[in-house]
Amino acid sequence: MRGAMALLALLAAPMAFGDDPPPTPEELVKIRAANAECLSCHSEAGLKKPPKEGMDLKKLRSHLVHLDTFTASDHGQMACTKCHGDGYAEHPHAADAKDEIAECQDCHARKAMRIERQFDKSVHAENLSDTFTCKTCHDAHTMALASKLRDPHKIVAQDNKICLDCHDSDLAFAKMAPDNKKRPPIDDIHAWLPNTRLHWKAVRCVECHTPTEDKLSLSHEIQNKDKAEKKCASCHSANSSLNARLYRHLQAEEQNKYGFLNSVMLSSSYVVGATRNPTLDKALIALFIATVLGVIGHGIVRIITTRLRRRKNHD
Amino acid sequence: MTNRVFMLPLWIRLWHWSNALAIIVLSITGISLHFSDPSLPLVEFSLAARIHNIAGVCLAVLYAGFVIGNIVTGNWWQYVPKPPGIIKRCLRQMQFYGSGIFKGEAEPFPPTPEVNFNALQAVTYWSIMYLVMPVVILSGLVFLYPQFAPATLFGLDGLLPVALVHYLGAAVILLFMVSHIYLGTMGPKVSSLFKMMFTGWYEH
Repeated sequence: MRGAMALLALLAAPMAFGDDPPPTPEELVKIRAANAECLSCHSEAGLKKPPKEGMDLKKLRSHLVHLDTFTASDHGQMACTKCHGDGYAEHPHAADAKDEIAECQDCHARKAMRIERQFDKSVHAENLSDTFTCKTCHDAHTMALASKLRDPHKIVAQDNKICLDCHDSDLAFAKMAPDNKKRPPIDDIHAWLPNTRLHWKAVRCVECHTPTEDKLSLSHEIQNKDKAEKKCASCHSANSSLNARLYRHLQAEEQNKYGFLNSVMLSSSYVVGATRNPTLDKALIALFIATVLGVIGHGIVRIITTRLRRRKNHD
Repeated sequence: MTNRVFMLPLWIRLWHWSNALAIIVLSITGISLHFSDPSLPLVEFSLAARIHNIAGVCLAVLYAGFVIGNIVTGNWWQYVPKPPGIIKRCLRQMQFYGSGIFKGEAEPFPPTPEVNFNALQAVTYWSIMYLVMPVVILSGLVFLYPQFAPATLFGLDGLLPVALVHYLGAAVILLFMVSHIYLGTMGPKVSSLFKMMFTGWYEH
């Protein structure tokens, strides 16, 4: 019954805005002009030099948007009012304007349904189901899809910041965590991982903290240490799971550059065990076998000739 | 009646066997890391990485000890390939390994306290100890602290050339080790040179 209702809701849902075509250049000019009005207050410049007198600057400080970051983000071509509603069109904003801010699923219905099933199994749902929303991690003003960022370093920097903002800060962690839950020191619990901090610059937390069985997409089922991947060889091997994860958007470019396996990774990282050259490996293995056989052969000839000589001396 | 002559002081023998142990450990763990395969682990990856790091640092310390010991005692001179006639002596040595030994000929340049190594040994040991080892150790140290590797090189990660040099150098050392152990049987008796490496006395 629940499934049928969900299906009905899906069918009845309007065409997802998330799939809308981008605005025309004329529309974009209008959007930018409208957004500039919002940013005349909601930016560092607006905070320094408020266009109006008597504004609550303390409140404004926590509602600033950086124009370049926003423009580069997934929502960068959208009008502020698309999500923030008409209540924000004028200043002072309407008293109930906050209640009308759009939810992610209003535009991303299908995606939200898929993600929610994964999220429900996550450690975040287990401990924080009441307070944890998409926005807890995903800031709609800054986020860019991995497929858009493409550069693995940029993807890693963006995504790990989300995790570390809470898990590497007592203050931020305490705001979200259940009472009495103390933040485990992030370096200590990862002490088993060699070159810990370097790993965090090269790969995302979710590389290990989401189920690895799903090779098609990255799950929102964030797992705690009991379930997280601890086998180094899942990434550090010829058949590296990083291909289906951090590097999945670059897979089309994989050309076994210079004969290296997983050479798509080589542009940003040398991954021991994954980025290797089978031709070089084969040549060195052949050389090793030849040396061992040569030594054994020499030894056998020595034994035989010594015995022959001894026999001759006896005669 | 066998003659015996004292050839190797304790520090060289201690260095040699600790170095040998470190190289064997590094080879096994290094192979496990490079050829890492979840279905066929020689040594589990994170364990191999940890052991390889520790053994690598030990090897670097031992190498420093080797260089200092050689300078202090003057032993470094043994490793210097000495012309004139070095090529001729090398060829003579090769001829011994290639055919003379099968005919029961005597070692053409047996070790003496003054000249420990034959010409071929001197050339090989010098190349391994003063060319290949420093390259492998230095590239290994960069591997240990990858922040010192160049960020990128020709559009690829800067660690790639470091890794390649480390891999090739290590392969050369591994090939050397196989031949070195075998050539250790070429003394007056199969066991003579191994015995000398433990006791310091050369019996002939």
